[in-house]
Amino acid sequence: MKFGYVSCLPETQLITRFVEELKNGRLMGTRCEKCGTTYLPPRAHCKCGSADIEWYEAPRRGKISTYTSVGVPPESMSKYAPYIVAVVELEDKTRLLAQLTGVALNTLRVGMLVQVISRRLGADRIVYEFKPV
Amino acid sequence: MIQKVGIIGIGHAKFGKRTDTTLRELTYEAVTRALEDAEINVKDIDASVIGVASEEFAAQVSPAVLVHDYVGMRNKPVFRTEAACATGSAAIQAGWSLVKADLADIVLVVGAETMTHLGTSKTTEVIARAGDTRWEYPFGATFPSFYAMMAKAHMNAYGTTREQLSMVSVKNHMYGALNPYAHIQKTITLKEAMKSSMICYPLNLYDCCLISDGAASVVLANEEKAKKISDTPIWLKGLGAASDTMMISERETLTELRATRIAAEKAYRMTGIVAEEVDVAVVHDCFTIGEIMAYEDLGFCKKGEGGKFIEEKQSYIGGKTPVNTDGGLKSKGHPLGATGVSMTIEITKQLRGEAGKRQVNGAEIGLSHNVGQAGQYCFVHVYSR
Repeated sequence: MKFGYVSCLPETQLITRFVEELKNGRLMGTRCEKCGTTYLPPRAHCKCGSADIEWYEAPRRGKISTYTSVGVPPESMSKYAPYIVAVVELEDKTRLLAQLTGVALNTLRVGMLVQVISRRLGADRIVYEFKPV
Repeated sequence: MIQKVGIIGIGHAKFGKRTDTTLRELTYEAVTRALEDAEINVKDIDASVIGVASEEFAAQVSPAVLVHDYVGMRNKPVFRTEAACATGSAAIQAGWSLVKADLADIVLVVGAETMTHLGTSKTTEVIARAGDTRWEYPFGATFPSFYAMMAKAHMNAYGTTREQLSMVSVKNHMYGALNPYAHIQKTITLKEAMKSSMICYPLNLYDCCLISDGAASVVLANEEKAKKISDTPIWLKGLGAASDTMMISERETLTELRATRIAAEKAYRMTGIVAEEVDVAVVHDCFTIGEIMAYEDLGFCKKGEGGKFIEEKQSYIGGKTPVNTDGGLKSKGHPLGATGVSMTIEITKQLRGEAGKRQVNGAEIGLSHNVGQAGQYCFVHVYSR
């Protein structure tokens, strides 16, 4: 199963594991076993240089930091436009970018509470997205 | 030891929809003018640095040597830079370094991009892939969307208004109308700017820079050659460069570009010049919010007061710090690789006193600010007479 509305990269071990968990409603990040830095989305290596990472389950609630509505999409996304893209700060202060659905643009506010959910797109694609709580 | 590096020649191709040319003819136009301006022959040049951001736009893998050979530089050293929208300033900084390291006495710097042949939808697609292709591109995040989110964050944090964004556009179109090399040479009203079609909320059409074809070229020389060849060398004295996270979501704040702050601090420190002393600046207004954040991040005003800065016309000629007197990316156009070199040309003109109707009287210190992607790269240059 592929990740994203569109994708242009091969399905590595990291993304395969991430997608498997996401299918079961779990949002997984990685933590460096050496320095403790956490990454969401996950990385196979820490920025400290270490390759010793462990998976952890990230919180799925947070607040909208900022948002936009994409009216002019890239060619590959034309069938989805317009769509809302937002950056959300989760309860553990990590930030995540994704689309936001289930709310009209004119009712959106910075600071609004949202949750992260997984969403299947057809038979072979999956994403995470934000939805008002 | 090489003391200073001077700009001794400048050449600008007309920016716009230039499907009358391809990369080679377009760069020839800029290079020929730069050589004529410096009153030297291509044989006098020791090496070149060519900034072209994208092979897809150039429709040519390895575009630098194509340009280098086409303008008659065969067998001489050639380097290419890539820093997305800041590719041109990266080329300037690489050229400066070659001279400073005494690897070359005279260096030709060229920045160029041919974009319009791809059309808006495909161009948006290519540029979107400058975002993280694993975690941000797959959501349909575009470059306008990144800056739109910065605009929303800035409006929310500091009360920056929709009207203030449009005021930047009105100013830049006013100056662009006076620049014969600009892509669009027409003034616009605040009303027109305010009601143009939405691209990425809250940014509308007149908040966004143009997709353009263009090329620009400068000749750099060491102090000895510069003084010998030119009566009016302009000295590139302060160079700052910085970077930031590839993913936008990793930034602690989206109300500023941290890379700008770091690069500016380095450039100011290298020269001993402070922001208040800058007589004229060109900044990266790929989107109007970019110019407002630049006022703050470069120290022209306090953080959060960028909106007020344009509203009070402090960035107009006659204001505290005139900004984007060439029309900026907004009106002059933004052919990625050409932009940074074009910025250096405008500052050189201003400091030589050759900017005509858009001249800042008596300008002695200039600054250029060039951002790559959504703040992933930043270059700040400080110049003096």
